[in-house]
Amino acid sequence: MSLTTGLSIARSALFAAGDQTAVVSRNVANAGNPLFSRKSANVVTAPGGGVRVASVTRASEPALVRRLLAATSDASSQKALVDALDELEQTINDPELDASPAARLAKLSDAIQNYAAQPQSDLAGQAAVRAAGDLVRALNSATETVNRVRRQADADIASSVDRIATLLARFEVVNGQIVNGTRAGSDVTDLLDTRDQIVASMSEEVGVRTIIRADDDMAIYTDSGVPLFDRTARAITFGATLSLAPGALGNAVYADGVPVTGSGATMPIASGRLKGLTAVRDEATVLYQYQLDEMARSLIEIFAESDQSAVPSLPDAPGLFTYAGAPAMPAPATIVDGLAGSISINPNVDPDQGGLVTRLRDGGIADPLVANYIYNTSGGVGFSDRLEQMQDRLFAAQAFDPAAGLETSATLVKFTSSSAAWVEDVRKSSADEYEYRNTLMQRSSETLSKLTGINLDEEMTTMLELERSYQAASKLISSIDSMLAALLVAIG
Amino acid sequence: MKTTSISTQAISDATRLSLSKLQLQLSTLQKEVTSGRLADVGQTLGHNTGQTISLRQERDRLATIIDTNGVVSGRLKSTQTTLEALNDSAQSFINTLLVARSSSASSQVAIAEARTKLTALAGTMNTNVGGAYIYAGINSDVKPLTDYFETPAPANQLAVANAFVTDFGVAQSAPGTELITGANMQTFLDTTFAALFDPAAWATTWSAASDQNMRSRIATSELVETSTNANVDAVRKLASAFTMIADLGIDTLNQDAYLAVIDTAIRAAGEAVGEITQLRGQLGAVEERVVKANDQMQLQIDIMDRHINLLEAVDPAEASTRISLLLTQIETAYSLTARIQRLSLLNYL
Repeated sequence: MSLTTGLSIARSALFAAGDQTAVVSRNVANAGNPLFSRKSANVVTAPGGGVRVASVTRASEPALVRRLLAATSDASSQKALVDALDELEQTINDPELDASPAARLAKLSDAIQNYAAQPQSDLAGQAAVRAAGDLVRALNSATETVNRVRRQADADIASSVDRIATLLARFEVVNGQIVNGTRAGSDVTDLLDTRDQIVASMSEEVGVRTIIRADDDMAIYTDSGVPLFDRTARAITFGATLSLAPGALGNAVYADGVPVTGSGATMPIASGRLKGLTAVRDEATVLYQYQLDEMARSLIEIFAESDQSAVPSLPDAPGLFTYAGAPAMPAPATIVDGLAGSISINPNVDPDQGGLVTRLRDGGIADPLVANYIYNTSGGVGFSDRLEQMQDRLFAAQAFDPAAGLETSATLVKFTSSSAAWVEDVRKSSADEYEYRNTLMQRSSETLSKLTGINLDEEMTTMLELERSYQAASKLISSIDSMLAALLVAIG
Repeated sequence: MKTTSISTQAISDATRLSLSKLQLQLSTLQKEVTSGRLADVGQTLGHNTGQTISLRQERDRLATIIDTNGVVSGRLKSTQTTLEALNDSAQSFINTLLVARSSSASSQVAIAEARTKLTALAGTMNTNVGGAYIYAGINSDVKPLTDYFETPAPANQLAVANAFVTDFGVAQSAPGTELITGANMQTFLDTTFAALFDPAAWATTWSAASDQNMRSRIATSELVETSTNANVDAVRKLASAFTMIADLGIDTLNQDAYLAVIDTAIRAAGEAVGEITQLRGQLGAVEERVVKANDQMQLQIDIMDRHINLLEAVDPAEASTRISLLLTQIETAYSLTARIQRLSLLNYL
C-alpha cells in the first residue's frame, strides 16, 4: 500500500510545515522584543519516512550572556558613584561662579584685606563679616548636600535589596516551571528567556554568577560566591539607618546570613549597584565630609583669639567663627565629625545678631566682657594689625588630619582648593570609568542581540521555503488522490 | 540552527544609539561655542580644577590688593602734597625771621605771619582724606592737632601762658617783659618752653594723634607703614617755632631777648625743614614701592588670566568646526535610518 504511505508522509509534511510556520510567526511577532531569543524548530524524520517537529530550541550564547551580566554589574556600580559625585560636585560647581568653599574663602580674605586698608570704615567691616557668613553658609549647605546624598544612598541600598528579593521570588517560580517543563519534555524556551531577563535585572543590583545544572536548573551566586539562589531563594536583608550621623558608617547588606558589603564584609561583592551605593555612603561622602570638617576646624583655629595680656592667663578661644563646643577650642589636626554643619559666625561680631563689627578689627569677639582678648589696646580706629595677622594666618601652613586624605600641612586656602580638586578628580575618573563600562555593556548587548535576535529577512525566506514545501506536499496529496481515484474508477 | 549574524533589532538599535550619542555631543558643543568655556569645567579638567580654583583665588587676592593700594596711594599723595606745603611754609618763615632779625621794626610782620602759619599748620595736620585724618596715625577718626588760636583758649595756649608767667612773673606782652634778659629768655626757651613740645606734653595739650602709623599690605607679603602722624619731630619743632614768634610777645622784649627768640625760632624751623625732607623721602620710597608692587601684581594677574583661559576656554573656531562635522554626521545618520527602515525583503515579495 505504498500510495497510502505516500499520502501519510505528505500529510506529516503538511503538519511539520504548519508547526514550523508557527515558530516563524512567533519569531516575527517578537522581532521588536529585545528580550526574545530566536526560536527554531527541529525537524526529524519519523519512522516510516514521515517528518515531525521534535522540539523547539532557542538561540543562546552562554558565554556572551555571562559577559553581558558582568558588564551590566560594573556599569551600574559606576553609575551609582557618578550620580552621587555629580550631586556632591554642586557644592563646587563651575569655578567661574565662585560658589565653592574655596572661592568663598578667597572672598573672605579679600574682604579682610579691604577692611585692613580702611580699618576706620564700618562698611568694610560689615562686608568682611558678610563674606564670613557666606563662607559659613557654603560649608553648612555642603554638609547638608553630603548628608542628603548619604541618606539617599542608604535608602537606595534598601530599595535595591528589596528589588533583589522580589526578583529572587520571581526567579524561584520561573526556575521551578523550567525544571518541571524540561523533565516533561515540553517547550520551555519562552520561560528560559524570562529567566535570563530576571538574572539580567538582578545583575544591575549585584554582581552575579550563574551555574546551570541538570534539568536546566539554575543556581545564582554573588560575584563573591555567596548563594542567592540554590534550589531555593536565600534571604537578602538590610536595615536602613534613619538618620546617618556625619562620619558614622551605615549597616551592611547580608545575603544568606553573610555580610556582603561594608568594611566588615567577609565576602564583599565586587560590582553592581549595591557595591556603588555602599562606596558612596561609606567612602566618598565620608571622606568629603572629613575634608569639610577640617576646613571648618581650621577656620575656627585661624580666627581664634588669644590672651593679649603681658602675662597671658586665658586659653585661646573661638573668634569670628565659632561652634557648639565654644569657648573650648577643637583639638588641633583632628577631625570633629559634622563641624562644617555646625560652624557659625560669632554673634559678638555679627551686626545682625547685635554684635559689633569693630570687634573683628579690635579683638574681643571671644568674650567682649574680658579685656584680655582685646588686641587694639589704644583704641585707635586705624588699627589694622589684628586684621593683617588674620591674613598672615590664612596664608600660613596649618596642620590637617591625615584621615581627610589631603595634605597634612598646607595653607587653608590650598587645602580647600585641593578638596575641590579631589571631588572633580574622583568625578572625572568615575565618569570615564562609567563611560568605558557602559560602552562595554552596550557592545555585549549588541553582540548578543546580533547572535540571538530575530532577522526579519531570514524569517521571510524561511517562510517562503515553508510555503513552497507546503505547496509541494499539497500537490502530492492531490496527485495521490487522483491516482487513487483512477484506481477506484478502474475497479468500479 | 544559526544562519545569521545580524538581527533586525541590532540594526535599528545601532543607528538609534549612535544618534543619541551624537546629539549629546551636539548639546555640549553648543554650550561651549556660545560661552567660549568648557561646558563642564570640573568634569573635563578633573584634578586640574584645583589649579583653576587656586589661580582664581590668587588672582582675586592680587586684584583686591591693587584696589586697596589705591586707598594707600591716595593717602600717600595727600601726605606728600601737604608736607611740601609745610616745607614751603617753613622756608618762607625762615626768610621772614631773617629779615626780622636785622630790624626789630619787622617784628609785627613776623608775628602776623607766625599766627597765620600756626593756624595753617593745624589745618594741614587735620587734612581728611576719605573720612580718615591722614596725620592721626591709627586714631584716624579724631582731629589730630588742636588749633592754638581757638576760643576759648585751648590747653596748648594756656600751657604756654602758664609757663611764661611761672618763669618771668608776668604775662606775655605785659609791662615788665622788657626787663627779661637775653640769657633768661634763652634758658626759658631751652627748658620750660621746650618741655611744652616734649612728646609727652605734646600728646596731652597739642595732639590727639597716635604715634602708631597706619600699616598696610601693599603686596601679598609686604606690610609697610603708609602714613605719618602729627607727633613727629618736624611738626613739633615747626609748631614750637611758630608759637615762639606768635605768642611770646616778641615786640615788647628788649633786643637781647628778642634776638634769643628769633635765633631759637630760626634754628627750630631750620631743623623742621630738614626733617620734613627726610619724611618726604621715606614716604616717597613707600609710594614707589606701591607703584612697583602694583605693576608686578598686574603682570601676575595677566599671566594668571592667561593660564585660567588656557585651562577653561574652548577654541571657538575648533568648536564650530566640530559642530558642523557633527551636524553632517547626524544628517547622514538620519538618512541612513530612513533607508534602512525601507530596506526589507517584504518590499520585494
